[in-house]
Formats: sequence, structure tokens, C-alpha cells
Amino acid sequence: MTPIKTHMRKARVPAALLCLAAVPGLAQIPDITRAVPDAAPGSEEAAPRLKPLPPPSLTFYGSPGLIDMPSAEMLPDGQYAVTYSWFGGTSRYNITFQALPWLSASFRYNGIQDLGLFGFDTYYDRGFDVRARLWRERRWLPEVTMGLQDFAGTGVYAAEYFVATKRFEAAALGWGRAPGRLKVSAGLGWGRLGSHGAIGSIGSRPSFVGGSTGGTLSTDQWFRGDVAPFAGLEWQPDARWSLKAEYSSDAYVTETQDSDVFERKSSLNYGVEYQYSDRLRLGAYYLYGSEIGVTAQIQLNPKHPPTLMAVPAPHPIIPRSQWATEDAHWRQDWASSAPKSRKIRDLAAEALKADGLVLEAVTLTGTTAELRYRNNRYRSQSQAAGRAARALAQTMPPSVETFRLVPVRRGIGLAAIEIRRSDLEALEFDPEAADALFAAAGVQDAGALPADALFSGELYPAFATSISPYTQPAYFDPEKPFRIDAGLDFAASYAPAPGWRIAGAIRQRLAGNVKNGRASNSVLPHVRTDQVEYAQYGTTLENLYVSRLWKPGRNLYARATAGLFESMYGGISGEVLWKPVNSRIGFGLEANYVVQRDFDQRFSFRDYRVLTGHASAYYELDRGYQLQLDAGRYLAGDYGGTFSLNREFDNGFLVGAFFTLTNVSAEDFGEGSFDKGFRFRIPVDWLLGKPSRSGFGLTIRPTQRDGGQRVAVPDRLYGPVREAHRKSLEDQRARFWE
Amino acid sequence: MSMFRMTAAALAAALLLAGCSRGPEKTPAELEVVQAVAEQFSRRRNAPPPPAELTRALLDKQTQAYIEVTIENRDAKAYLTRALERRDSHPGTIEVWRTQDNVSIALRQGMVIATRGLGGGLLSAQVPTAEGAGGPVRGGARRYTVRADGNSQRRLNMACSLHDLGPEPVEIVEITHPARRLQERCEGAGGVVVNDYWVDSRPGRNQVWQSRQWAGPETGYLRIRQLRL
Repeated sequence: MTPIKTHMRKARVPAALLCLAAVPGLAQIPDITRAVPDAAPGSEEAAPRLKPLPPPSLTFYGSPGLIDMPSAEMLPDGQYAVTYSWFGGTSRYNITFQALPWLSASFRYNGIQDLGLFGFDTYYDRGFDVRARLWRERRWLPEVTMGLQDFAGTGVYAAEYFVATKRFEAAALGWGRAPGRLKVSAGLGWGRLGSHGAIGSIGSRPSFVGGSTGGTLSTDQWFRGDVAPFAGLEWQPDARWSLKAEYSSDAYVTETQDSDVFERKSSLNYGVEYQYSDRLRLGAYYLYGSEIGVTAQIQLNPKHPPTLMAVPAPHPIIPRSQWATEDAHWRQDWASSAPKSRKIRDLAAEALKADGLVLEAVTLTGTTAELRYRNNRYRSQSQAAGRAARALAQTMPPSVETFRLVPVRRGIGLAAIEIRRSDLEALEFDPEAADALFAAAGVQDAGALPADALFSGELYPAFATSISPYTQPAYFDPEKPFRIDAGLDFAASYAPAPGWRIAGAIRQRLAGNVKNGRASNSVLPHVRTDQVEYAQYGTTLENLYVSRLWKPGRNLYARATAGLFESMYGGISGEVLWKPVNSRIGFGLEANYVVQRDFDQRFSFRDYRVLTGHASAYYELDRGYQLQLDAGRYLAGDYGGTFSLNREFDNGFLVGAFFTLTNVSAEDFGEGSFDKGFRFRIPVDWLLGKPSRSGFGLTIRPTQRDGGQRVAVPDRLYGPVREAHRKSLEDQRARFWE
Repeated sequence: MSMFRMTAAALAAALLLAGCSRGPEKTPAELEVVQAVAEQFSRRRNAPPPPAELTRALLDKQTQAYIEVTIENRDAKAYLTRALERRDSHPGTIEVWRTQDNVSIALRQGMVIATRGLGGGLLSAQVPTAEGAGGPVRGGARRYTVRADGNSQRRLNMACSLHDLGPEPVEIVEITHPARRLQERCEGAGGVVVNDYWVDSRPGRNQVWQSRQWAGPETGYLRIRQLRL
């Protein structure tokens, strides 16, 4: 007999690569997700779609709009846009995040070639924008948005505006059958956007001074000074192309009058743009009567991954009624036999391993099973719990009716999910499988490890090693805005008993230029600004520490760590977290006594030691927003507090921002006045479309200084604990059966 | 340029050395990406051999039941074997069919109620079944729950009408089965879906021999044929 191969076979292998480097599985053919009018019933085009329409096009400043002028449009909620624009010696890199349906924020890094002012040849600067929609487009009413551009930096692009946009379908304009859409925008601008063709003036506006410290909100200049109108239109004849024309109210005083970067001959700009794929848009322009310009606009939405997550299908649960047909199958006497219990533990471990989970311990009675397992594969703890439940349903004797699933990390139980086995059997193919099961499940504190738990024979002690590449970037040196080191990490860890861990990593740089960066000019203790000194050494001991995590009581989690925590600090650290399983609130306390490590990052230390620690409050809001407030003492010995707000999507994609205010004066702090920045994390599983718990995280500060800095201690408690608690399990309940 | 070459050398060295992670701990992120890219390359190099020509003689030699599933929007085709046949508190028999490479599809009386392992799958569905009848038995409400927005779900509620298009025998690999064609037209959730079923028309039989069904916005339409019972 020749068995028929039952592989899913694709006739056309979609070849890959677009904006995100080596991402397997991206469709090669650019697709446009616009609904096809008059699609035949029964075709894919006519069926319901979840992919959004192509979002609005972006300006040279990375916000929705025309060419150099903004419009009132907003991006879809959660959208993440990266733009590069260039014209007349001015290049701008913009990142825009649509934080709420009506609110967006942008960060920009720009360079003006040959400006020759403020002591720089090419002038680099950073800035933040924020835009808020005042009201949506309605029948006759245009959409109206208020914007603050470059409102906190040194303010080279500082401007404020109100802008209105109205959309028209071409057919409705009486253009016969012409398809397409017309968008008309008009607004009033202050600052840069009020510098040409002013029609009035409100108060007075301090003029721009380059090279100052910056970093403070420029409230004294918002909506002050000359005000000028601007306007423009965008015509989209089809889903891919658009033609743009605008009247600019930016005189480019700094570039054309104070300096000679380009010549401004006209106020009219023209452009044409092409949507190459759902994520990439390219544009070419003719600006100010003298300059050619280009843009590349990349838009991502965390809710729409480049590759859909495909998890190998689970094996269906076979109801006990099908295989435990005799009374003898249901007896409970196996539970009193140690060899039989061990055999069942090994079968369960085997079944878990097939799904990438690691059995830590099981506690068996005749009718219940508590499984403690480690999840190294699935981002979603709901999915891990679902797979663990299936593994138990597959391996436990029929008399076991209650499953208690306890995800474990570094030896501590994070939560306990209680499920009846009969519910698993009854609900797998229910029309509302996910909701029904979550309604029938209970989520509780993990509790103490039962005394008669059967531990896995393979784990304690256990040794783990890895060799992996690393990269370490450094940003915003005026001489070279981006530097990076790359090399290999050799890591090893040893777990002698549950909760205990000894770990270390040796780092070997293979290439990089961080070592050529700027020396520190900080007047504070150099707690973070000696990065260049540290980068002089290519073979380093990245960390080496011993840690213990344990659960001191109900809703409490604790950690103690000693050793070399990170490349710059070593010492001792302790942390306690209070986080009830069913609550959105958590409180934490952390204290560290740390010593600064020598630049060579081996076993010696420098002469700087400090006691640093924080009290933290955590709160989970809706839409994935997470608020964290910290108050305490920072590395330079300064006292103050940190406010951070992250938005974490269900799939692990994270975007957030933070700022720290301490008793260090703006003058002592230096450039930027106080510590602030933003962070994002792109999950590996989001990129690759297969399960993974890893992510690429970046924290970007416009300037790295010494005030408001914290030590990085491995295995902080809050993140993993929160992930396994009710809110996150409930938000991701859809994954349970997958 | 030398910077670029150095980076390339570093990456090549990393690729050679990487692939190394042992023990019960999580694999580092960089390593996972390197491994995934390497896997992609090796998969492209070692493409699976083309499937054998399907004949009734070959099918007759088999001992298991087989269905053939084609996903229209990605031009993918697979033969699936039955992993489970069971019932629950809702009317109709559930069958779970599965490929060797871990894609599965669940049918209730021949109607798709779940897909797994495809990405953006159909999590669950409510279908109009009745005991002893193949395919849909009435129009009315139909509900699909699909994976959407990262890790959460989206419900698509549709209203269907059922049409009997009369006798329409189907030929499946050299055998012609007498069948009636039933058509479900569903509207809602911003779209229109048309599902077709070819159900055995002999008295006392309710086998769905062939169908074309929608399985959510990402998977699109599936064509299913019962090759062997």
C-alpha cells in the first residue's frame, strides 16, 4: 500500500522580503485591501473582510496630510507609521503612533545639510508632535484636527495649527462615472506654518534659538505670533495612485534667509504617490518652485501582522465516553501507587513536550491533577493553558475530573487555572467554544507547591546554554546619528532547585562603531553616559548572577539577586510584588545596592556605589494600556518619580512612552532637561507567524543623560506575573482552543 | 563599504555559530529569527516532491478515509485523514480531519465549523444541522467566530437563505455519485457568502460528497471532496 501524503502543499511558494528585512512568508504580490465594488456573490472579494482599507497618506513630517502641510485625517487606531522624506537638503525620519482613535504622537529625527548655523555644519535635531482630532467628518461638517508640531524640543520645526478636511466621492461631484475620491484640506497655522502670507497676529512669539538645551514644553509660544492660511487637495483616481497639490504657509526662514540651504521661489507644491503594497507607499514631489523631493512611507498595524500566526493544529480531545467504556477504567486506586503515578507524570511530560511546554511538577489524587508547567513557546498564556489542558486530557486516567493548571516561571507559580475535564470534552466544538470555556474556568492564586508534588526527573538540577547574535545601538550623536555594535552572546544558566538560578553571559563583539562616539560631558556622576568607555572593550562579561524567586504568601511574589546584573552595574537587589490574580492593580517595592563596574566589564569595580530603589504602582487600563508609576532614588543619587504608559496589544506588540522628573535641575541634567523617551517591542511571533515568546525591544531616548536612570536587574517580577493573570487570560481566551 | 562588509562577515559568522541552544530555557530572540530564516531557505531548497496522480486504483488500495481540501486563495491542496469522529450536545456528527503537517479542519455534518494551523483561522461556527440530514437544513442565523486583531476573536453574524438547486451528480475520481446541490446564501458583517453542498440524494444517505464553503476572511473558500469513505 502506498499511503497518500497528507501534507498541505502550496503550488506557489510565496517568496518574501519587504521592509522588515528577512521576514519569511510575506506575500510577494502587493495587495490592496480596498473592497472591490460589485464583486460577484460567492467570490472572496464579496465575503466579509477584516483587513482595513489603505490608511491616509502621510506628509514630509510623517503625519496624515498633503506634502509639507497637514490634513485633519487620523490613522487607524494603533497604526504605526515610519516615514523618510527628503527635499532640498532636508531629511526627516518620522515615527508616528496612533495612540487612540482621536490622538496621535510623532517623534522625528531630522538633518538639515549645510545649514551652517548654531555651530553645526549639518544641523541634526529631534522633535515630538502631537495631534488631536476635535470632531469627525459628518454630513456637511469637515473633520477638524488640532496639531502641535515640534512642541518640546529645541523647536526648529515648531508650529501649531487647526486644519479641516472634507472628502468627496468623485461620482458625487457630478464627474459622471469617474471613480476615485477627492480630499480638500484647509487650515490656519502659527509658528513655521504662519511664516508666509500671514493674515494677522496674536500676541508675540519668541524666535527660534538653535543649540539651546530644549526639552521643556514651549507653552509660551503656542498659537502666538503671525497666523497664516494653508490649503491643498489630494485626488485619488484609484486605490493606488494619488495626486497632490498644496499651498504652503511655511516661509522656511531659517533655511532660505538665515542660511542658504535652498531657494524658495513659489508657495505651491505638487506630488504624485503610489501605494506599492499594503504597507509601503512611495512619493515624488516638486516643492517651492525649485526642489525635487521624495518620501517612503511604511505603515504597520500591530493588529495585522505581516505573516498570520499559524500554530500546528492541536490533537482533538477524545471524550472519555469513547475510550473508558468499562467500570474498571474509572477506578482510582492507581493514585496510591507511586510507580503508576510516576508513569503518568512521564506520559504527561511527553505530551507537553510535543507542544513546547516543560513539565515542572504534577500533584495527583484520584480525581484531581495539579500541573505546574513552564511555557517557553507561546506568547499567550491562554494558549499555553489550552495546550496543557489537552495534554492532561490525553494522559490522565479517566477518574481525574479537575485540572489545575499552574504556569511557572523561574520556579514561582504565577496563577492557577481550574478547568473541569467534562467541560473540555463538551465544549471543544461548541459554537462559542472560547467564551463558554472561560466562563466555566476559574482563575486563582497559584498557592504553595503541594508537599506531595512529583517533580520532573529532568529539571533540577538543569543546565542550559545558548549562543546567539546580539546588536547594541547608540543614537543621536550629532556627528553620526546611528551607531551599532554586533556580535555574539555566549550564555549559560544552572538551576539547582526550583526558584534558584545561576546565570552568566560572555559577550564577544565582532563589529561595531559605538566606541567612536562622544565622550560624556555630564556634571552628574557618569552613571549612564560613559557608554563609549564601556564600548572600548570587545570581550566582556555581560552578566553573572545568582537569583532566587519565591512566593512568600498569597498574592505576593519575591526576588533576591546578587552578582553582576548588567554591563555597567553589579551588587545586590531585592524586590517584592503584590498582585492579586483577579485584580488590575499591583504594587511593588525594589531596593538595590549597586557598584559601578569597571569599563573592561570583568570582575573589577569603579569607585561609585549607590543605594537605589523604588516603590511602584501598576494599573491595567482598557485597550491594552498599562500605567506604571515609580517613586524613589535613581542611580545618580537623585530622588524623583517616573511616569510610564505602555500600550501592549494582545499579540505582544508594545509601544510606550515615559518621563522621569527628579531633583536634578535642568541645567545639571544637560541637553533635554529631564529624562524621557519611548519604547517599542516587536514580537518575534508577530514577524514570523509562528509561536515564540521573544521580542525585539528598543528604548529610545532623545538624549541619554545621567539623571533619572535605573539599574537593569534580570528577572523583574511584574511582566511575567501580569501575563498569567485574569485580565490577560480573558483578553486572549480565543487562543485557548488553538 | 568596509562597515557593510564587516557586518556581513559578522552575520555570516553568527549564522554559522548560531543554532545553538540547549536546556529547558527559552531560546534567545535573535537566535529564533536566524533559525526561522535558515529554515525558510532549506525549505525552499528541499521542496516536497509533486503529489502522486490520484486514481481510483490508488484510492482503493488505502485503508483509511480521505478527503481532499483545496484552499482557493492560496492555491493549496491537501489530502486529510480522519483523526476523530464524535458527537456533542448539538445535533450532528463532528469529524476532525488532519494533515501530516498539522493542519486540521472540523466538520459537523459536512459543514466547516473550525480550522486549525492555517493562520487567521475559523475558531468556531454555528451551523444549521439536524439529525440524519447532510449539509444545512434551514436558513436563518449563522455565526462565525474568527481569529482577528492579534490574539483576540471577532464574531461575524450572517443571515442565510437555503436553496435546493435540484439534482446535480458529482464525479469524484472516476466515480459519479447521485447528489442534490444545496446552496446557502448568507449576508451580513459587510459581505456576502455563498456555500455550496453536493449531498447524496439516495434515500437514507446523507453524505456530503463535495462542497465549497467559506471559512473566514483569511482562509477564504475551501473546496472539499470526499475521496474515500
